[in-house]
Amino acid sequence: MADREVADVMTTSSSSSSGSATNNPLSRKLNKILETRLDSDKEMLEALKSLSTFFTSNNIRTRRNLRSDIERRSLLINEEFVDCFKVAKEQLDSICEDVQAMNECCLDMTSRLKTAKDQTHDLISQTTQLQTESQKLQMRAQVTDVFLSKFQLKQEEVQILRGTRDGSLHPGFFKALARVKQIHTDCKVLLRTNQQTAGLEIMEAMALQQESAYERLYRWTQNECRMLSGDTPDINNQLCLALESLQDRPVLFRYSLDEFGTARRTAIVRSFIDALTRGGPGGTPRPIELHSHDPLRYSGDILAWLHQSAASEKEHIQALLKHCAATSADENIHDVLSHITDGVCRPLKVRLEQVVVSEPGPVLLYKLTNLLKFYHVTIGNILLSNSSLLNTIDEMQTLCLKMFFNTLNYNAGKLLEKVELPPGDLGTTSSLSNTLQLVQDILSSHDSSVIAIDARKQDFTQILNCVIDPLIQMCSVSASRLPTVDMATYMINCLYQIQNTLALYEYTDQRLEMLNAQIDAHVDTLVSEQASFILTRTGLSHAYGIVQQHQSAQGPLSSLHGMDAVSMKAAMSKFDSYLASPDSLTMTQCSLLLSAKQRETVKRRSSELIIAAYQLIFSAIMDVQNKYAESNGIVPRTPDQVIKLLS
Amino acid sequence: MAAGPYNYSYIFKYIIIGDMGVGKSCLLHQFTEKKFMADCPHTIGVEFGTRIIEVAGQKIKLQIWDTAGQERFRAVTRSYYRGAAGALMVYDITTFIVRSTYNHLSSWLTDARNLTNPNTVIFLIGNKSDLEAQRDVTYEEAKQFADENGLMFLECSAKTGENVEEAFLDTAKKIYQNIQDGSLDLNAAESGVQHKPTTPRNTLSNDQPQSKDGCAC
Ligand SMILES: Nc1nc2c(ncn2[C@@H]2O[C@H](COP(=O)(O)OP(=O)(O)OP(=O)(O)O)[C@@H](O)[C@H]2O)c(=O)[nH]1
Ligand SMILES: [Mg+2]
Repeated sequence: MADREVADVMTTSSSSSSGSATNNPLSRKLNKILETRLDSDKEMLEALKSLSTFFTSNNIRTRRNLRSDIERRSLLINEEFVDCFKVAKEQLDSICEDVQAMNECCLDMTSRLKTAKDQTHDLISQTTQLQTESQKLQMRAQVTDVFLSKFQLKQEEVQILRGTRDGSLHPGFFKALARVKQIHTDCKVLLRTNQQTAGLEIMEAMALQQESAYERLYRWTQNECRMLSGDTPDINNQLCLALESLQDRPVLFRYSLDEFGTARRTAIVRSFIDALTRGGPGGTPRPIELHSHDPLRYSGDILAWLHQSAASEKEHIQALLKHCAATSADENIHDVLSHITDGVCRPLKVRLEQVVVSEPGPVLLYKLTNLLKFYHVTIGNILLSNSSLLNTIDEMQTLCLKMFFNTLNYNAGKLLEKVELPPGDLGTTSSLSNTLQLVQDILSSHDSSVIAIDARKQDFTQILNCVIDPLIQMCSVSASRLPTVDMATYMINCLYQIQNTLALYEYTDQRLEMLNAQIDAHVDTLVSEQASFILTRTGLSHAYGIVQQHQSAQGPLSSLHGMDAVSMKAAMSKFDSYLASPDSLTMTQCSLLLSAKQRETVKRRSSELIIAAYQLIFSAIMDVQNKYAESNGIVPRTPDQVIKLLS
Repeated sequence: MAAGPYNYSYIFKYIIIGDMGVGKSCLLHQFTEKKFMADCPHTIGVEFGTRIIEVAGQKIKLQIWDTAGQERFRAVTRSYYRGAAGALMVYDITTFIVRSTYNHLSSWLTDARNLTNPNTVIFLIGNKSDLEAQRDVTYEEAKQFADENGLMFLECSAKTGENVEEAFLDTAKKIYQNIQDGSLDLNAAESGVQHKPTTPRNTLSNDQPQSKDGCAC
């Protein structure tokens, strides 16, 4: 600094000396120095300060040497400076080297990275690709899992469906079977999508599963049903479920029911025979056949037993089919019941036939018919009418009724075959009263009958036709050889007895009317016979006949033969003695009439006839044209007096 | 539907007897349907009802035969006594049955005794206990009749349902007791009682080995 100052000073003086022509260079130099403000020129101060350190003595020699001193000092400083810089430079060089090495390293790495990058690019893209693919696959795996769980059976389900060697059924069987069915149905959805192949395959697999499962279920069911041949079948819920399932296979369902029916059929036949022949163990209750001597009780017990069994069997089959659709169940219940009860028909028929052909007599046959009719209705509430048990009962009832009418007809035939002669009192024969007693027994059994009233009417008519007609015929035949009066009396008595019997029962009105008409006819006969008997006995019958036929052309009545006043007077006196005791001329037959009312009727009506006859004769005699002298003396009594006497 | 109604261990057969109009059908209806039939027609022959009850934890199915009281059915209904485990003999407390027609009740009892088993439980029921105002038979005299003849006895009303349940159940309890005593032989096919095994024979429990081979059956 000081050097530069010095140099500066020197240049300044030189330039001022050269530069300023007008001015004195010295003065300018002086001025300049004077003008110099040393205290403000720091450089100058520093330079001076520094100079003062080594320029200690101011003398000429030192002044002459100052320049070289300063230069020497400057050189020294520069050398020092160089030395210092040399170290720095060296260090910098080393740094530079390091940096260069680093650079190289970096370049190398960069290039290596570049290579690596080039090399891994494929791998990365491949990986990415694989990743995407893997994601897709995972998704598909999930879908497949779901699909499989929906469309495929689980292993254990397959096992359950396959079952065990001993043929028993796993409790989960029906659930598994339901799943197979569900899958099979769901496959139809698949078929509508583009998954048709899968759909078809699964469907086929499920169909196979189903078939074998149903087959197995059927075997099991069949086996179970076969074992239900005890008195009380144990119908467990599994079996009910089995039948519910089997509804989907109508043939197997049907076969299973048949198996059940057959087992129950066997059971009921066995119990029936046991009940008939052995009764309970120890004989309580006692065997039904113990009462076979009492046909009605025997048959009643048999039929009641069957009724109760049929009701129980119906309960069993209803229990068995409780899960099944109502329509199929109803129909099948009847079919199966029909089948179950079919077995007892044979033993039932044999026994009832035995009863019927053992000739228990018409009354019992009739009661039996009614009993069978009753059970036809009662059991008909349980079974359908086309079942063989009902048919058998119906058949037996028909047989019974036929036998009944046969017996009646046979009795009737016997009546006509050996007709009894009327007894002396013209009363009823024993065959008549026996037959009437029979009719009474038959008709009264209706009172205790269990048959609805309207069903009786038809029977009644037929029974009456069957018995009463031949009975009346028998009476007629029996009476045929009798004289008229005896015949009329006898017939009236017979008909009266019949009427009396029938009057006790309903639905006999028509018959009674008919009998009345017949009786009336005979009563008419009897009345006219009685009247003519009286007229004959009183000797008036001749006169009455003539008076009745007399015509004025014949001349006066008194002139006719036997009509003269004397004869008439004699007859009238006889008649008068009759009037005194009218009963003396009652025919014995009339008093043999069983009915007092009829006796009265005959008496009254014959008296009326007598009165009418008397009236006719009376008026004829009183008639002046008939020329009776003293007519009042011939007929002393007026008709009114006669009426009074005879009533 | 649960297996319920059909799972039972015993079946008891009952018969209901008594004069016409005493309310036999109404009692049965009240017991099975828990309802009163105000105008019930005369029973024709016999009718049938069932209900499952429980006695000592055992399910028992009652099979009840309601008979016609009309005289004309007497011959028919007699055939139904056979093999009954219980006989309910019903009279009407508003009619003079025990006193004036004492023989009537006795004749029902004679039938019941002659036509059933010696250990058939006979239960005397005085029905229509709701008609207290018209009562003609006192509780005491009926009770005496029952005691003299060794019958169980209750007064009931098919109308209000009072004691109806009890009569049917007490009969069942007595029958069940007879079974426990051994006085009733269960093997009797017609003892009026039938026993059913409760455990299903053919159900497989889960722990049994499953067949490994492919044979489906
Ligand atoms: N107030 C009252 N009336 C009753 C009661 N039980 C039955 N009845 C009436 O009595 C009448 C006859 O009853 P049913 O049950 O038909 O008599 P039943 O014994 O079955 O008669 P049959 O079938 O002919 O033997 C009916 O009109 C019932 O309303 C009762 O507890 N109280
Ligand atoms: Mg009734």
